[in-house]
Amino acid sequence: MTAQGQPLYEARQISKSYGSVAALIDVSFALYPGEVVGLVGDNGAGKSTLVKVLSGVHAPDSGELFLDGVRRHWKSPHEAIQAGVETLYQDAGLAPHLTIGSNVFLGREKLRPGLLGRLGFLAQQEMEREALADLERVGIAVPPSNRTVSELSGGQRQAVAIGRAVSWARKVILLDEPTNHLGARQSVEVLSVIKAARDKGLGVVFISHTLPHVLEVTNRIVVLRLGRVVRDAPTAEFDAESLLGTITGLIDGA
Amino acid sequence: MSSVTDKPAKPASTAVAASPGRLRSLLTNQQFLLLVALAALVAYFTSRDSVFISSGEVATMLATFSELILMAVGETYVIITGGIDLSVGATAGFAGVVAAFAMRDLLAGHSPEALVLTVGTVICAAVGVGIGLVNAILMNWARLVPFVATLITLGAATGMSLVLTGGAPIGADAAAINLAAARIGPLPYLALIVLVIVAVCWVYLHLSRYGRYTFAIGSNAFAARAAGINVRRHTTSVYVLSGLLAGLTGMVFYMQLGSGAPSSGNGAELPAIAAVVIGGVSLFGGMGRLTGTILGALILTVVQSGLIIANVSPNYSQVAIAICIAIAASLQALRPQNRSQT
Repeated sequence: MTAQGQPLYEARQISKSYGSVAALIDVSFALYPGEVVGLVGDNGAGKSTLVKVLSGVHAPDSGELFLDGVRRHWKSPHEAIQAGVETLYQDAGLAPHLTIGSNVFLGREKLRPGLLGRLGFLAQQEMEREALADLERVGIAVPPSNRTVSELSGGQRQAVAIGRAVSWARKVILLDEPTNHLGARQSVEVLSVIKAARDKGLGVVFISHTLPHVLEVTNRIVVLRLGRVVRDAPTAEFDAESLLGTITGLIDGA
Repeated sequence: MSSVTDKPAKPASTAVAASPGRLRSLLTNQQFLLLVALAALVAYFTSRDSVFISSGEVATMLATFSELILMAVGETYVIITGGIDLSVGATAGFAGVVAAFAMRDLLAGHSPEALVLTVGTVICAAVGVGIGLVNAILMNWARLVPFVATLITLGAATGMSLVLTGGAPIGADAAAINLAAARIGPLPYLALIVLVIVAVCWVYLHLSRYGRYTFAIGSNAFAARAAGINVRRHTTSVYVLSGLLAGLTGMVFYMQLGSGAPSSGNGAELPAIAAVVIGGVSLFGGMGRLTGTILGALILTVVQSGLIIANVSPNYSQVAIAICIAIAASLQALRPQNRSQT
C-alpha cells in the first residue's frame, strides 16, 4: 500500500450475487485521500457491480463498507451522495431529455427564493448559469446553451457527467469508464480533471479498459477476475504487459 | 437537410441545419403545428355553418372539453414518466357513481345544494386517489407493468360501477345541471374551475421540481435514482394525481348529467390518451408539453362538435379521432428526435 493512515473509503469482504451468478466474492478494497485507484478486469469481472455497491445502488449480500472509518449501510444512492460519494455510471448517468444544467443539478435542484421556492418552483436560469460555471471550473468545456443532453455528442455528454460528479464530490468519486466515447484530446482533459480532483485530496476510483490511461493516472491498481481481487499493488509495479497478463489470468496474481 | 451540422451530435430536428434560430423552433414546434391545425378546423367548420361559433355551441364544446381535459392532464404526467394509465375513464365513471349515491341520500335529507356538491367532490377525489394508489401498489409491489396494472383497475372499476348501480343512473339532480351551465361572464362556471386546475397542473409540470422529477424519471429512471430521486415514491404520486384528476372528472360527468351514470366513463380513456398523443407527448417518456395536450384535447373537441354541425353521423366521430391520431403520430415519427436512452 502506498498511502498511510485510515482509508477514506473501505470495502471489506464484499459479496454480491445475481441469482445464481456470483458477481463479487469476498472483495476487499481500500481508497485513501488524494489517491487514484484503478479498478481493472475483463468484462464480467465485477467492476460495475463493485461500483454499484460502493455507490449505494445495490446493497451487498454480505460484507461491510466504511467511509472515514464509520460503518455505512447505503439504503439508496441518495444516502451515499449525501455522505460525499459521487458516481459516474457507465453510459447511464444522464437524463437525455433534460438540459445540461438540469442534469448537473438533478436531485439537487435550486428553488426560487421566497414563497415560490417553498411551493417547489425551480430557479432554472440560476441552475443553468451555475452549471456552466461549475463545469468550466472543473476544466470541462461544454456548449454554452440550454441544450438538452440528447443534442450533445458522446464526448460532450461524458464531459457533462464527469463535470457533475467532480463538482459535487466532497470525498470520493467513482468513475466507471469515464474515457469511453472520448477522443484523444478529450481523454487528456478528463485525465487532468482526475488529477486535479486527486490533488484536492479526494479519493478517486477509476475504472477503465484503456490500460494506458490506467497506468498514467492511478497510484494503485486493483485487478478483478471473475468477481475476486487477484492483485492489489502500486501502479509502479505494473507495465502494460504485466497488467494485461494479470487481467487475463496469463500471469498469476499475488 | 440534416446532412450538414456544426456538431457531431445527431440533429434534434431536420431544421437545425437549415437555420438554428427561429425557423427551427417554429417548424419543430409541435404546438405551432397543432395551433395551425386547430385554427384551420375552426375556420372550416365555421365556413360550413356559422352556428359553429355561436355561444351555445361554444358552451357545448367547453362542456365536452371539460369532460376530457382533466383525464388528459393526468395522463400527460403519467406518460411523461414513461407509463400509461388505462384506468382513467373507468375511475371517472366509478367515482361519479359512488359520489352520486351519497349525494342522492344527502339531497333526500334536504341538505343544501352547495354542501351536497362539496361532499360529492370530496368523494370523487377520494375514490380517484384510492384507485391511483391501487395502481401504484400493483406496479411497485406486485411488479406489474403500468399497462397491466391499470388494465386491472379499469376492469375492476367498470365492473364495480355496474354492480353498485345495476346499470341504471343514480340520482336526479337538476340543480347540479343548472349550476354546471351557470356562467361567469362568457365562461361556464364548471369549465372555469376545470381550467384553473389545468393551469395549476401546467405550471407545476414545467416549472417545479415535481415536474422536473417527472421528466427525469421518464427520460432515464436509472439516472434519476442514481441522482437521489425516490423514483418509486414519485411514480406513485403521479398515478395518484392521475387518479385524482380522473375522480374529479366523475364530478364533471355528474354535474353535466345530474346523475351518476355507470357507463359515463366507458371508453373515456381513449380520447384522453389520444389528446396526449396528438399533443406530441412521447409515449417513451421524458418529453412533451402540457400545452400540446391542451391543444390535442381542443382539436378532438372541435372535430367531434364540427362533425355534428356538418351533419355527419356521430358514428363517424371515432373514425375522425383515429385519423387525427394517425396524422399526429406520423408527424412525430417523422421528426428524427434523438432517442439515446440507455
